[in-house]
Amino acid sequence: MMADPARILVWDWAVRLVHWLMVILVPLLWWTAEEGYMDWHRSLGLTMFGLVLFRLIWGLIGSWTARFVPMLRRVGMLKSYIGKLRAREHGPTFGHSPLAVLGVFALLAALATQVTTGLFSVDIDGLESGPLAIMVSFETGRQFAEIHELNFNLLATLIGLHITAIAIYHFVLKEKLVRPMVTGLRSRSDFSAEQLPENRSRPIPMIAAAILSLASVMVILNFG
Amino acid sequence: MKRCKTKLILPALAGLTLLTACEQTAETAPNSGAANAELPNGLTVKEQVEARQGQLKKMGKAFKTISDQLKAGSPDLAQIQAAAAAVPKEAATMIDWFPEGTGPESGVETEALPVIWENKADFNLKVAALQDAAALLDSAAQTGDIAAIGAAFKTTGGTCKACHDKYRLDD
Repeated sequence: MMADPARILVWDWAVRLVHWLMVILVPLLWWTAEEGYMDWHRSLGLTMFGLVLFRLIWGLIGSWTARFVPMLRRVGMLKSYIGKLRAREHGPTFGHSPLAVLGVFALLAALATQVTTGLFSVDIDGLESGPLAIMVSFETGRQFAEIHELNFNLLATLIGLHITAIAIYHFVLKEKLVRPMVTGLRSRSDFSAEQLPENRSRPIPMIAAAILSLASVMVILNFG
Repeated sequence: MKRCKTKLILPALAGLTLLTACEQTAETAPNSGAANAELPNGLTVKEQVEARQGQLKKMGKAFKTISDQLKAGSPDLAQIQAAAAAVPKEAATMIDWFPEGTGPESGVETEALPVIWENKADFNLKVAALQDAAALLDSAAQTGDIAAIGAAFKTTGGTCKACHDKYRLDD
């Protein structure tokens, strides 16, 4: 891809692809569970497991805006960022804003809980179960299913908050955040030079993360 | 009720909490009698509901064992056979688990819906369908033919679902 000097990469394609696949998968997973299409729910859930795992690995070895350690450092600026927001003096943040970091961690924690509990869940009739449910008793599997159901409400609430936040930025704070999540790019002039860390896409870690998550999915799929 | 009213002078939130508490006691009080009422079979309503929940749970466990083994790369036939044999035995008396008066109106916590007793004939037919399917599952298990067991398990599960969709509270 030819680089446009006026634009700069904020979100690498792995972050964007994972994000939008999750946007498609969450409603599908909810719907298949509601309607009792459990074969589909299991397959899509395992796909989601792979995506969450990939994103967690990418948070350790991915591009700068995807990594958790730089995000954690941002949390220290939370108070001053909120102050600036209230005074309408905030500027664009390269990557996640201190508030967004909290959102990302909460969302990823809820997603990780959801896919993990799903692996061990057993339905009330003992007829349907997650791919690793053979490892647990009926009672334990039922407890996993209870957490799976409760945590979905938490996840849905967090997604609601996330969308609300994007809408507030869009309409109230006049900062358009959806388009960069599609194209990955923002105007270079949004940021001062010292704000910009190296945010290269990293192909070898990318392949490693993809292989590792795919292998984990295969192990689960062939378990038993 | 008088206590509730006097407490309502308290700040709105505290008052509301108390009111809810009072309402709850008012709701459960008359029902505790129904829960302990004795049924023709000698059990109290509460005992009957708990007994059938226990029996259905046993069936759920047996189904999980079969489903686990069917999913496994090399199914343990002995486990499947034991579980498949248990299901028709457990289900044999199922129609008697739902005597009149053991629905949610008794105040005992149950997911059994009142429509069971409005459609008792249909309900009993659905129980019979499960019993037939479970007998077939048992005989399929004894042959050791995994494909046949899988098919019979699916059919049996379908009879569970057919009844639950209509007669059990959707959770």
